[in-house]
Amino acid sequence: MRVVPTSTWLPQYAVSVLAYCWRCWRRRLTAWLATALAVSAVLSLAATAELFLVLAQHSLAQQARSASEFQVFLTDEAQQPQVDALRTKVGDLHGVKSVTYRSKAEALSLARHDPTLSNLASTTPGNPFPASLVVQLADPSAASQVASAISQDPATDHDVPFSYTPAQGKRLSTFLSTAQAIIVGVAAAALGVASLVGLVLLRSEIRARRAELTVLSLVGTPRPVIRLPVLVEAVSLALAGSIVATLVLIYVGGHLVPLVNGSLPFLQLGGAADAVRTISLATLAGSVMALGACSLLVRLPR
Amino acid sequence: MGTAASVFSTLVHAVGGFPDDGKRRPEAVAVRPGSVSLQDVTVGYARTPVFEKLDLSIEPGEFVYLVGPSGVGKTTLLKVLFGMVRPQSGKIFVDGVAVHGMHRWQTAKIRRRVGCVFQNYELLQHLTAYQNVLLPLQLGHPRVNDPGGYAVDALELVGLKHKLNELPENLSGGEQQRVAVARAIAHQPRILLADEPTGNVDSDTSARILELFAELNDVGSTVIMATHDEFVLSRYSARAYWLDPKKQDQEPAHAQGVAS
Repeated sequence: MRVVPTSTWLPQYAVSVLAYCWRCWRRRLTAWLATALAVSAVLSLAATAELFLVLAQHSLAQQARSASEFQVFLTDEAQQPQVDALRTKVGDLHGVKSVTYRSKAEALSLARHDPTLSNLASTTPGNPFPASLVVQLADPSAASQVASAISQDPATDHDVPFSYTPAQGKRLSTFLSTAQAIIVGVAAAALGVASLVGLVLLRSEIRARRAELTVLSLVGTPRPVIRLPVLVEAVSLALAGSIVATLVLIYVGGHLVPLVNGSLPFLQLGGAADAVRTISLATLAGSVMALGACSLLVRLPR
Repeated sequence: MGTAASVFSTLVHAVGGFPDDGKRRPEAVAVRPGSVSLQDVTVGYARTPVFEKLDLSIEPGEFVYLVGPSGVGKTTLLKVLFGMVRPQSGKIFVDGVAVHGMHRWQTAKIRRRVGCVFQNYELLQHLTAYQNVLLPLQLGHPRVNDPGGYAVDALELVGLKHKLNELPENLSGGEQQRVAVARAIAHQPRILLADEPTGNVDSDTSARILELFAELNDVGSTVIMATHDEFVLSRYSARAYWLDPKKQDQEPAHAQGVAS
């Protein structure tokens, strides 16, 4: 047979294979659209669930950081040497990251900027806020050690010695750990379900083409070339699904999240722009890899 | 119709020689391009054997009929040679390639070198006759220059040049058979396997297909054809390999020649 020069056969072959992929895809456009719709719905749901979970996780992490700021309230009669001695004593305890002194004036200033304390700060005559030692804890459960070490110290306010009790600290620590575990579990489940549905859809799609793949195999088509249209179809499904999921995420992040923030003051999810960007990229990469891997796992006829 | 000789004028078979000592070792025969060799081959589906300890040797350029009644295993034997069915034991060499140990991802290699006409045509229903012949050339033989020209030539040889753009559903069973034949010969294979290629065609077309195979054989191709058609056997003289177990008992060597 006449053969083409080595320099030109490869581009010609690439054109032939791509033309074949295009013909396969065009012929199955209706089935592809139906599958793309299903994949888009699954990815959109999973991405939206992921967005709320990530924002809730951020919110919880923020609360965990606040909870790690444990305040030891000082009595108004405490002398500076007593305060310094207490500060040194607390700083040496296990689980304490840092200790800083906050004067009454600083406490009042902070309270004026805190929405939950500003009312108290403006209506109460004088300065009702005590000076304190702000203790940064490695974990809220470490508060019990600080509490037991300073309970009898003369510089502490014996009526309200701490911002929260050690028991509350322990409960908060347990709650945060449980909440984080639930969030991670739900996120993993959502991702798993999305992947599973995608894989099932793709497998049924490939099963429908089994007769065609058999013929291609029988006429000696190289197996990578037989797989290529399947791979291209899988990647195109993942791309289409990811684009739809990103559009849904942008809408949810721009409209629904501010709505939740406005309606539920106790659940402040914050801004969603960064999370939308991260989840969109993760959805794109994850779906391309999952569906692409599925297309490679399908067994071709002998 | 054009003549096969004109189309296949460029066909060159690199037939291997024998060892320097002149002795014909079975292995040396087996690996010669264009040859087919089965050594102690046992094939079966589940626990039902189809053949046991089958030996068959076909020289490059031979024309061989696989003959026997329906269900005797002619199609299975062709499937074994084409890498579609793996033998339970034994060795199979086709065109110098060991087929018996091939993994599924290696079978394309032998299928590109061997042409096969399937009993149920195996055409892609969404492609035209021309595209059905062209596609294997484009995807399996990337270095072939002007694959479209070869596809048209092959369809012309089987008398279907006027139906290039017809879908298989618009072709009769005989015409679909001829498209399958065109696809099998378009890449000028060194070995052609045909499973009842005249099973669904009238006697004129049957004669034409047989003539085409004979022309291919004349230019050096090995042709192995499964048939139970008396007309075919009487039309063209070739060695016949009987797969009927009773007849194999009577002719225990490598079958008998059938003269026209």
